[in-house]
Amino acid sequence: MLFFSFFKTLTNQTVTIELKNDIRIRGTLKSVDQYLNIKLDNVDVLDLDKYPHLSSVKNMFIRGSVVRYVMLPRSEVDIGLLEDATRREAANQAGKAK
Amino acid sequence: MENGTSTEGKDPSTFLGEIIGAPVTIKLNSGVVYKGELQSVDGYMNIALEKSEEFVNGRLTRSYGDAFIRGNNVLYISAH
Amino acid sequence: MADTEDAGTSSVSEPLDLVRLSLDEIVFVKLRGDRELKGRLHAYDSHCNLVLGDVEETIYVVEEDENEQETIRTIKKQEEMLFVRGDSVVLISPQA
Repeated sequence: MLFFSFFKTLTNQTVTIELKNDIRIRGTLKSVDQYLNIKLDNVDVLDLDKYPHLSSVKNMFIRGSVVRYVMLPRSEVDIGLLEDATRREAANQAGKAK
Repeated sequence: MENGTSTEGKDPSTFLGEIIGAPVTIKLNSGVVYKGELQSVDGYMNIALEKSEEFVNGRLTRSYGDAFIRGNNVLYISAH
Repeated sequence: MADTEDAGTSSVSEPLDLVRLSLDEIVFVKLRGDRELKGRLHAYDSHCNLVLGDVEETIYVVEEDENEQETIRTIKKQEEMLFVRGDSVVLISPQA
């Protein structure tokens, strides 16, 4: 649940998503769900010369499982809060994989 | 089945529990091999290794003081 | 949960404890697809989803030169803040 909550705090921010097939997409993060599926608006595909078939796409629903990276704006990430939330999540999860 | 080793007749996770602290070889699905001291294992076969070395095509490529290996990549764990 | 060891202390009793102890430290991450990352670990979960800050990504690309010899080219990229999906992760190592 940690990253679901984390991404919810980033809605309406501009992010760049790199997919596992190397396509990079920049857009406004409109919504996210528990699988980390992501809805992007105002989509811009980087390397459009390589992927011209995506030139007319304005918004996307990206299945979480095809995501490799999400590049985030550092100024919008509260690092202290994020690390504290991670420690809490780790305490909750401890021993579950035994 | 007579005169078996100490791990005979038990299940795989018992075997893994018994080799904690021992030097092990781990092979990943990619073919990469790690040799090191087994610190811990969990139910997903996630592994913590101490003083490990990484081998690609039999060649030493890297050393790690500590390393966490994500279980889904593991092909086998072997105790020497 | 009724185990003898006490989770949540600084002991290393399960593999993810190694990652927990690396929080806010520099880590090396090996990924599927001949990629490596080095950066400060700000978040992780049990799937090995990660958030790293001040990241350097290294990509290894095998290329064939004129003599059909295989050479390895490395590409380096910098990112200020990066979420990494856990299913790409192979190995995480704290950088001493």
